Amino acid sequence: MMRLLLAVLAALALGSCAQADDKTHIYLQRFFGECGAEYGGRTDVSKAEGECGIVTTLVNKFNAENPDVQVDVNVIAWPGYPQLTAQMAARDPPDLVTMHSGVMSDYAAKGLLEPVEPYLQRAGINAADFTPASRDAVAIKGRAYGLPWDTHGGLYHVNTGLFREAGLMRGGEPILPTSPEEFFAHARQFRERTGKPYLIQSLVGDPAGAARSLYTYMMAQGAPIFPEPDRLRVNTPEGRRVADFFRRLTAEGLGTSNMDTPAAIAAFMNGEGGIYPTGTWMIGQFQEESETPGRPLYRSYAVYPFPHLWGEHVASVGGHAWVVPARERTDKQRQAIARFFRFMAAHNYDWARTGHLPAFAAVVASPRFRALPQRDNIAPLGTIGRSLPGTVQRQSAVEGIVGEEMSAAITGQKSSTRALADADRRVNEFLAELQ
Amino acid sequence: MTRAERRWDGLLFVAPFLLLYLLILIYPLLRGVWLSLHSVDLFGDGRFVGLANYARLAADPVFGQSLVNTFLITLMIVPVLTVIALALALALNRATRSAAILRGVFFSSAVLSVTIVTLIWRFVLAPDAGLLGELWTAFGWEPLPFLSAPNLVLPALAITTIWWSLGFPMLLFLAGLQQIPQDMYEAAALDRASKWTTFRRVTLPSLRRTTILVIMLQTAAQLQIFGQSQLLTAGGPSGASRTAVLFLFETAFGRWELGYASAAAEILFLIILAVTLTQYWLTGRAREGEDGR
Repeated sequence: MMRLLLAVLAALALGSCAQADDKTHIYLQRFFGECGAEYGGRTDVSKAEGECGIVTTLVNKFNAENPDVQVDVNVIAWPGYPQLTAQMAARDPPDLVTMHSGVMSDYAAKGLLEPVEPYLQRAGINAADFTPASRDAVAIKGRAYGLPWDTHGGLYHVNTGLFREAGLMRGGEPILPTSPEEFFAHARQFRERTGKPYLIQSLVGDPAGAARSLYTYMMAQGAPIFPEPDRLRVNTPEGRRVADFFRRLTAEGLGTSNMDTPAAIAAFMNGEGGIYPTGTWMIGQFQEESETPGRPLYRSYAVYPFPHLWGEHVASVGGHAWVVPARERTDKQRQAIARFFRFMAAHNYDWARTGHLPAFAAVVASPRFRALPQRDNIAPLGTIGRSLPGTVQRQSAVEGIVGEEMSAAITGQKSSTRALADADRRVNEFLAELQ
Repeated sequence: MTRAERRWDGLLFVAPFLLLYLLILIYPLLRGVWLSLHSVDLFGDGRFVGLANYARLAADPVFGQSLVNTFLITLMIVPVLTVIALALALALNRATRSAAILRGVFFSSAVLSVTIVTLIWRFVLAPDAGLLGELWTAFGWEPLPFLSAPNLVLPALAITTIWWSLGFPMLLFLAGLQQIPQDMYEAAALDRASKWTTFRRVTLPSLRRTTILVIMLQTAAQLQIFGQSQLLTAGGPSGASRTAVLFLFETAFGRWELGYASAAAEILFLIILAVTLTQYWLTGRAREGEDGR
């Protein structure tokens, strides 16, 4: 009797592991949050809002339109790379993963990602249709390792109400500086007339922001941040010029120094400063504030790429991409992945409603994208955006160290020379150990 | 049944535990030591480098700073936590309804996850919109930048941790207090001993073993402090709040340097072992001839 019971239980347990249908299953792992309670069954993408709502609805729509394919979604906490790494080490990675372009080289160098040209070809997607920034972001040694989905990077979010009070508006547009000297002149004028800091800086627990400023303005001066893939060089005259600039600005009280990201966001939304340099992902929230009567940002918001202060007008950017971890797959699964790529490419505009810049040049140029709030202003990011070289590994860890040292320079905890020399030493030491 | 047979029977009883213990504790420990002698990332087999990782650690100022930070924060937390937990236990060791409610209130922070705890304390400590910042401003003072000033950030993390960790030591002290025989207090009362003398001569000596336990457990726990530092300050400003475990995490999962992180973990393990054994030895010497509870 006991044996029979055990046999039935074993059969039930094994049976529950098998797929209960004849669909082709694709296992997708993503960040962007969990919102199944609100968007779990929805397929109308035009009514979805925010990163989570839009991506959830898009996957629902794909499943509904492709009855022979089932995309099973696993939502992980942002950014989810430790989990992905563990899955890859266990040789059981997902079929599709959302990945930041700066992280792709870590996995691609180990042969853990498939180059995606065969999928793009099957999906009828031409890499020449991507914006230059998106194309660069997924390219490693001449191969494409992901379907780029957007470009994101630093932007100057401006409180136009305070700019007006400071006398820094012309023709309804804020006047942004075009040189370091003008930047200081504007910042001083702003503080004198409004009594508030010109720049809201998030320097506590947020190394990415400080690193973004350093990368952007070193790139603008034509200084190679990585002369070789395993050698960082920021302690240069160009790097020190940028660090000294922000250090002087902070020392004069023209920029804040004690805020973390939530505090900086709250300060900007409450009208406590002129400019908040942060990413594309904040456009939606700030725009909503600017459309809500009674809020400090009401009718007082505009956003632009980082101003052109030195050399060439460029901006350090990254991007989100869909990547395909290397593993055995059936041809049906490969076909399903290609169909998913085609679907996501066709819905690139929907994703752009999050605030990120589309990966396809035609979508950036399209009237409906340009008609979205602020998008005309940020569209140049697709052409002025620059990524770190695709051969540079551990970009996320590098950004953490560079940002930490740059923050120390900005707040005066270290001299610019020492902070940037420490960044070079710390990064180069661990890059030299790469397998 | 012979004596030898009885011994085998006993071994069989403990075998499942021993097997699991070897598998999930001893094997990873030895594997960690082996990894620390290699230059290896999360995927490769790596190469044997002997003690090179340890030599690199000895010359790494970031690791050195993380160890100093870890010692400092442990010193800030453990004595204060022990004294406050003891004081609360003394105050709440009574069979009244309000004491029962307050015991629950003071223990409640211990059930929160570190994410929630750091979120709460961020709202308290942030200088621009935090509770303390508002309070300081109301008094006309400049708010203190607890999370961005190098000399304030460790005390800020210590306060957060003390608030979070108070519950368990308080319960241990309460359990210890309830085991002290009432007749000792009656004898002290007959001798007309003052409250202070009773506390010093009866309560404290009777709680000696509980106190040692609390100090040892808390020391071992705080030497491994991680979440508060990662979530509140990300180790900043400029590494002023980077703890040893945060260094391990960044090295292993940010930089994928598994061998180097394992070497740092072994050093931390030896430090915790040495500190705990030293405390045990010192308290053992002091206890000679006494019998505590």
